[in-house]
Amino acid sequence: MNAFSSHRLRSVATTLAVALTLSLAAAAGCDNRRDPPLPSVLDKLRESHIDGQPRIRIGVAATEPLMGELRNGTYTGFDVEIARYIASSLGFEGDQRIEFVPLATEDRIPALQGGVADLVVSSFSMTEERKKLVSFAGPYFVTTQEVMVPNRLKDRIRTIEDLRRPEYKICTSGGSTTEAELEKHQVRALVVKRVGDCVKGIREGRYDAVSSDETILAGFLSQYPTEFEIVDMPFGTSETLGIGVPIGDPALRDLVAFFLDKSYQQGRQGLSSPWLTAYNRTLGPWMKQPKVQPQPLDVPKLVDFDDKAPTR
Amino acid sequence: MSAPAAPVTDGVGPVVASWDGSDLAERRARAAQSFWTAVVGVPAIFSVLRLGVEAGGELQTTLLLVANVGPVNLLAGFLTTAARLLSTGLVAVFALGAVLRVSVDRMPAGVRRPLFVRWMDIVPAWFVLAGFLLALVTWQLLYLPLLIPAFVAAFQLTPARLHEQWVPRLLLLAALFVGYAWLLAPTLVEAGRQGELLALLLLVAPPLLALGITGPLPAAVIRPLASVTEAAVLAMLVWAALPVISTPVLPLTVTTVEPAPGVTEDVRGHIVTVDDVNVVLLQERGGVRYVPVDQVRAQVLCPSEAELPRHRLRIRDFHVEDSLLEGMGRRVRPVHRIDAACRVVR
Repeated sequence: MNAFSSHRLRSVATTLAVALTLSLAAAAGCDNRRDPPLPSVLDKLRESHIDGQPRIRIGVAATEPLMGELRNGTYTGFDVEIARYIASSLGFEGDQRIEFVPLATEDRIPALQGGVADLVVSSFSMTEERKKLVSFAGPYFVTTQEVMVPNRLKDRIRTIEDLRRPEYKICTSGGSTTEAELEKHQVRALVVKRVGDCVKGIREGRYDAVSSDETILAGFLSQYPTEFEIVDMPFGTSETLGIGVPIGDPALRDLVAFFLDKSYQQGRQGLSSPWLTAYNRTLGPWMKQPKVQPQPLDVPKLVDFDDKAPTR
Repeated sequence: MSAPAAPVTDGVGPVVASWDGSDLAERRARAAQSFWTAVVGVPAIFSVLRLGVEAGGELQTTLLLVANVGPVNLLAGFLTTAARLLSTGLVAVFALGAVLRVSVDRMPAGVRRPLFVRWMDIVPAWFVLAGFLLALVTWQLLYLPLLIPAFVAAFQLTPARLHEQWVPRLLLLAALFVGYAWLLAPTLVEAGRQGELLALLLLVAPPLLALGITGPLPAAVIRPLASVTEAAVLAMLVWAALPVISTPVLPLTVTTVEPAPGVTEDVRGHIVTVDDVNVVLLQERGGVRYVPVDQVRAQVLCPSEAELPRHRLRIRDFHVEDSLLEGMGRRVRPVHRIDAACRVVR
């Protein structure tokens, strides 16, 4: 009797095991056929407004050495290199597929709003006010505000106090965060269209100092290394530079953030990243302290073809 | 598993006692014929049929493909894309056949043995083993644990086979389970974190099921199970074959063409053939295009959308949707760059 019941128990166990294995196999088969649950890079590309465009239009600065400069018909600089990396990641490889739109500081937001540019990579500080008008992916760089003075004044302008003195004419570019920051510190500044105009003005004796992001100033310092000096002043705020995207295109913002993060992750693993290459080729030699890529914020989880590659 | 020389007997009495020798031999020969026909014929027919699908149903395009895709390329292309399906079919037949075979002695003598059992009678053990090996290297890692109960069932490996005595047997089993748990622990934690219940179940349940899967089934279950599973395996093969038939046999590329100076165009499609004059492209959206060789400026290989992963899980840095072969391949060539042209051109 005992042997019989154990025999029976065994067959019930076998039946159960066979049935469960078959159902599990069926579930596996169904799982294999369903659509990927996570959005992919390709899905986002199709959602974004750049899908199907023959060329991508990227707004950059044309007059900021080391960041974005048009020289002999070719755009160069850190922002331009980052723009090229993002463009090639989005499927626009090579300069024949990129249309660089030269933008002045104050034209960056209207260019995105008006559809003149698909992206803006132009020392664009991510601020709360701007986030109401455009979307940002990033940051891809953290910079601070500095002041650049000609050698003739380098012993006289050392502090923010010195900037407030009425005998000095301080110059900055319009629509920039620097303009607001100077105002906050009660520094009366003369506002021009481009930082380059300030530098030109100083060389011609019309202004005495220029205030802007350290990256932009480093660019002009690289042009006139014997004429200027950057003075470290405690403005206290750091600027996070981001890539501007039209506010109506969250898919494109996600893609740009995703590719910035891809570069960030490469850098963290100690590999050479597109960011590091761009930095070393442009800003790197001119910065007082070496920089690393900051971690991009709000990075979406996207599926891509190279997800299966080994991570180490 | 090798073909038994005589009808299966086991204490209860000869199962096929009513069959005379010549009848048995004839049945065996017929079963062998049907089995090998299925194993060789199905892939052959599939590989030709899919050419028609790939050509977009156009007769002339199909003929162009037939003329340019050699039989060896066709078979190799088919095996690359269908090895998984083929091994799944074989493993299902072997596992079910073996379970039914040990149970069949409970059926009244003279009853026709189920198809899978007859197949198992004639299949040599090395072929069963080869089927499992093919599955081992081609199945996605996530589904690989299912191979454990299938293997245990196909070879009827009861826990008693590990050791005759209870204590060493339990110790051996415990060691096996601890090893399995150690291998998968990080993946299981990650699956739990991501809420991937099915993945969790697929990784944990199969080894436990393997403990109970050997042994005969109750007599009442055998007949319905035999007919249902035969139909189910057939249905599964057809269902799984549809995507395989539509998987392209030619590699996907994007070709940059310059028809006039300064004007470039990207064509997404499969290269059928290249000669001195033309590159013949089967465009992804349909139609054949002859591009003069001197107008081709660049060509890149692109992944297809079906290759996008569904899960974000890894087992010891092997992606769960890779097979062992693919996973090892990725270690040989770890960097896989997607060319920009693949992203926008459609």
